[in-house]
Amino acid sequence: MNSNLHQAGVKLLKQLGRHADVIMDAYLSGSVNESTHDSGVIEKLKKSGILWRPEPDQELRLKRSVRALLEEGLSDERNRQIDSNVGSALATIKTLADHYKEARHNVDYGAAEAYLSDLSEHVYSFTDSLRYSIRVLWGRINNEFGYVGTINAKIRENELAQSQVTELLNGLEMFQFSELGEIAGDIRELRRLLITSLQETLSQCTQELSVVQGRLFELLGRFRQIQGRTRLLKGWLLHTDLHPDYQPDNHVAHNNIPNLFNCADAMLAPAHVDVTNSQHELELMQMVAQIKAISRDDKPTTIRETDVTFEMSAVEDFDVPDNPLKLAVDEYFCAVIDSGLRQSALEYLQNNQLEWDSESWLYQVIGGYEALPIEHKQYFELEPIGKPHPVYSGNFIVTDVELWLA
Amino acid sequence: MSNEINDSLETVLVGTGALIEQLLRGEFICRVTNEDGWRALKNSSTRERVEQYLNQINRTITSAGEGEVFFCGYLQLGENERKVISSQFKDICGALIPLVEWLVLVQEASGQDAPLSEGAPIRLTELQTRIEDTPAFSEQLTKLSHYRLFGSTSNNVDGQIKLVFKRLVELGYLTKPNAEKQIYIATGKLDYLYEVIRFIDETEGLSLEAQAETATQRELI
Repeated sequence: MNSNLHQAGVKLLKQLGRHADVIMDAYLSGSVNESTHDSGVIEKLKKSGILWRPEPDQELRLKRSVRALLEEGLSDERNRQIDSNVGSALATIKTLADHYKEARHNVDYGAAEAYLSDLSEHVYSFTDSLRYSIRVLWGRINNEFGYVGTINAKIRENELAQSQVTELLNGLEMFQFSELGEIAGDIRELRRLLITSLQETLSQCTQELSVVQGRLFELLGRFRQIQGRTRLLKGWLLHTDLHPDYQPDNHVAHNNIPNLFNCADAMLAPAHVDVTNSQHELELMQMVAQIKAISRDDKPTTIRETDVTFEMSAVEDFDVPDNPLKLAVDEYFCAVIDSGLRQSALEYLQNNQLEWDSESWLYQVIGGYEALPIEHKQYFELEPIGKPHPVYSGNFIVTDVELWLA
Repeated sequence: MSNEINDSLETVLVGTGALIEQLLRGEFICRVTNEDGWRALKNSSTRERVEQYLNQINRTITSAGEGEVFFCGYLQLGENERKVISSQFKDICGALIPLVEWLVLVQEASGQDAPLSEGAPIRLTELQTRIEDTPAFSEQLTKLSHYRLFGSTSNNVDGQIKLVFKRLVELGYLTKPNAEKQIYIATGKLDYLYEVIRFIDETEGLSLEAQAETATQRELI
């Protein structure tokens, strides 16, 4: 019989695996569209109790147990089913414990062992489902009921979760450990199962549930605040629409002004100078005098409108226009060459009635001579004419120069 | 050692100095606008120090929005102070209708459950597209931007919405953390605004929430 059960189970699981597509479609859309799937497959799934038809004219749906398996396995956040029926679990546990005790009493060890393993299964699955419920609740809290859109829906979801928590807590209160202790008596296996392990789990779960309850209240408070603000705004608009000449009462006319409206004026306003006040003139002048213009920081950077590229290129030829004074000096040199005579520079200036100042003329002549290339320079002789300074020795005052061909 | 103490004292003074200036400029301090200052005011010892300073010039720290927003009020109320408060109150009341209309517009245009509150971001370009795409929203924007509070004379959505947001930043209801990005963040002053409306609602017995509730139920039916 046991091997039969094993085989049937494997067959069922294989069937689930083989038709995973159909099952997931049904899970996601809620029902199976019979026209899009093979009718043979549908029929098989129906027979093995995976799909069922709730009402004759309804579409096929997934069995609750399959759905629960998927919800748990996929940690689907839409899952809000919580098994809060603690009472029936407790009754089953008590009954099985009684069976076990009776079998032990009758020294039927085979039956006793079977009952004990059944009992352990129930106790463990009960604690597991309890922990699972708490996990589901936390999941919903942590994403703040994100699976529903509006604030009102969130508030309703929150209220549902709160009622589930209350039910779970009420259910847990039904566990009287003194009663379980009596049932367990002095049988070691029962005491371990019913007292030690259960008690520990239940006290943990109770603690956690009260934290969950606190968080739910907190969230509800926040949702209500948001909802309240939305309504407040809408209500205000409605009210002002209905009463166009509505003005709020003067709430600051009372002796005791509400703190909310005790709002001081801005004492620090942007500062500026009163230049029209003549009394401030002296101080302003002093201040202005102390102003140092440091312009390096706020030098406006010129922004070119277009990027001008700069290229290195060959230097173009350019002319420096000749200085007329220099040209006159050149002519003076040529005159000396033409005449071949010793000629005073100042005399030449006067003879040719040139307009240059005598001193700059002399400087230019001396400069012109010194600027000659060495091979030209040796054709000329230049002698300054002058006298030593009457007071300070070593200073020679040039009054004229003479130039001749060497 | 003494140097360290001096240093820490100095930084505290420098920190509260900026905070006091902000308060005296009539600004609201919240977590969004000045997180350091907000923390300093949440801390009882620094708050006490700022309070002592302000008390010397007849000012005090006032808070609103469940202690999340701080601003500067008068310590004692004389004739002049009452005048100031009364004019401020008139300003607030005058701003209520445009601001509420704006809040509802933003909430509806962005399809959100919750009205704007401190810390909520608004992407201006997104909002603008939504308003431009829906004639009803554009109409609402035109209506509210022409209130004196905003004072727009523009005829297009772009000009109107830009001016409205600029004014809201000036008034301290929004901040723009990054000058180059068109993202605005609601400040604690908005929470103050809700509190003002709630105060008026409760003291005058307007039961605004109930009015809104019945209106929505009538819509549902």
